[in-house]
Amino acid sequence: MPTTTFSEHIPDLDLITWYAENNKSVFAFMSPWTKFAILTLLVVLVTVLHSIILLISIYVAVICIYLIAGLPAKKLILWYTLPILFVFSLIGILVWGEPGFPLISLKIFGLTAILTDKGVLIAISLLIKALTMVTFSLFILMTTRYSYLATVIERIFPAPLDQIFLLSYRFLFLTISMTAAMLKAVCSRGGGVIYSIRMQGKIFAEVFALVFIRSFDRAERVHKAMIARGYKGHFSMNNEVPAPSQYGMISIVIFSIIVIAILIASQLKWGLNIL
Amino acid sequence: MTSLKTPTPDQLCFQPPTALKELIHVDCASHVYPDGTIGIHQMCFRVFESEIVALCGPNGSGKSTLIEHLNGLLTPSEGKIVVRGRLIGSKEAADLWKDVGIVFQRSDDQLFAPTVLDDVMFGPINMGIPYANAKSAALSALKAVGASDLVHKLPNFLSGGQKRLISIAGILAMKPKIIALDEPTSDLDPLHSDIIERLILELKNKFTISVVIATHDLDFAARIADRVCLVRRGSICAEGSPADMFYNDRLINGAGLQPPTVVQLYRAMCIEKGISATERPLTIQQLVEVTSKKIVE
Repeated sequence: MPTTTFSEHIPDLDLITWYAENNKSVFAFMSPWTKFAILTLLVVLVTVLHSIILLISIYVAVICIYLIAGLPAKKLILWYTLPILFVFSLIGILVWGEPGFPLISLKIFGLTAILTDKGVLIAISLLIKALTMVTFSLFILMTTRYSYLATVIERIFPAPLDQIFLLSYRFLFLTISMTAAMLKAVCSRGGGVIYSIRMQGKIFAEVFALVFIRSFDRAERVHKAMIARGYKGHFSMNNEVPAPSQYGMISIVIFSIIVIAILIASQLKWGLNIL
Repeated sequence: MTSLKTPTPDQLCFQPPTALKELIHVDCASHVYPDGTIGIHQMCFRVFESEIVALCGPNGSGKSTLIEHLNGLLTPSEGKIVVRGRLIGSKEAADLWKDVGIVFQRSDDQLFAPTVLDDVMFGPINMGIPYANAKSAALSALKAVGASDLVHKLPNFLSGGQKRLISIAGILAMKPKIIALDEPTSDLDPLHSDIIERLILELKNKFTISVVIATHDLDFAARIADRVCLVRRGSICAEGSPADMFYNDRLINGAGLQPPTVVQLYRAMCIEKGISATERPLTIQQLVEVTSKKIVE
């Protein structure tokens, strides 16, 4: 199983692609269209839902799907670091001063910041929403062969977005492996990511600048090789992506009905204390 | 290479074959890069049908620049290049990439598509071939290079040798008349070099494709080439059969190269045994035959 890791906390593209190509679970045979439809519905659902209980239920369901697909749980927990940091960087400002029962009061530079029970609920709710979406997105990436994924994206997104995605994919791998090789060279001579940034920040900045310069250089060579094979500005995927099965269609319909029902209920304030 | 005078070839011992059809004619072509570096200078070079011609020269001698001229990626600033009757730089040569395929030195630069099949199909689809036929051409090309099992693999999970095979398949799928390979065996282990070598011979013998190889591996050129062109400072300083070139120290050293290992070994053996080096073996097999014969004598 190939891996290119700078840190255990950064999602490893090599590993993700390896699972995508080699996953043998039932979800690997599910139509990518079904998965993308469910992803869209899930985005809508977690956006409109406010009930912590329902959000936790959805999150648990997504985790179960992830585990049933045979995907690595430990890696998932490690990869949660970045979304958690992202959410906390947002809620660090949002949660203070929410109306509700005050829990903590802090005085900073003469200003009083109060953390209320509602503020904590907002934090938990945002965190669960983020982790649900991250988990489900990783589940899709790790159970869908890249050729299917690329074809679906090419058909969904307009040009030039689809072209950017298709061409940047392999380039991203090459840039990552180039950076990994340079970091390996740094470590092989007694350096380290944190240590070298602290001790030789300037050199390290130059190393990363070099990665970008080399990337441009490589991009030019790739472009030249494409022109040599008749590239005229459009690259298309020609894979046949399996259409949703009967069960896939039924699950999309049921899930759509649930989402619509929740949307209507939230608009009409029915069952407000649950939703 | 920033300032050059018109070269005077040390020796041009190549007699053009009259029976073979000329496919490429490079007529005193020069190319200067925007930064002033001279890529090729008054280069004269020809490629005939069904031959393997090796461009041998040290790094920076202009081999890769010449190769990039052959399918119109670069156009000469002076002189002219005619490929199958079409002048490079003219409108009629716009689709020259269909006739002359280039396999680049770094396979990672060539393989950009998500899967091997998509990459090999890229050329045929650009040629306007319908999807089903393009797929069939791609599968045939992969079979020809012995990489059918890699069809659904992702390029980033392939070894260097496998990537090189896929790069060749990507060109072969377009069914070109000429294939130019830039350092085809660089960075490869002996096993994969051997596979590439056999494949190049097959391109010529089975598919009747003319092959141009840019290399500084003279052992490889000695085994495979029908004709060798020595490149020095952007020009061809000598050309002829491998034996004529590689047993001529003045030419080889003048081009900044060293004779192939077999040549060096044969000469050393002849000196050691006190026998005259009358034969000119180029491969290990030929060396074994010649030395066995001499020992018997």
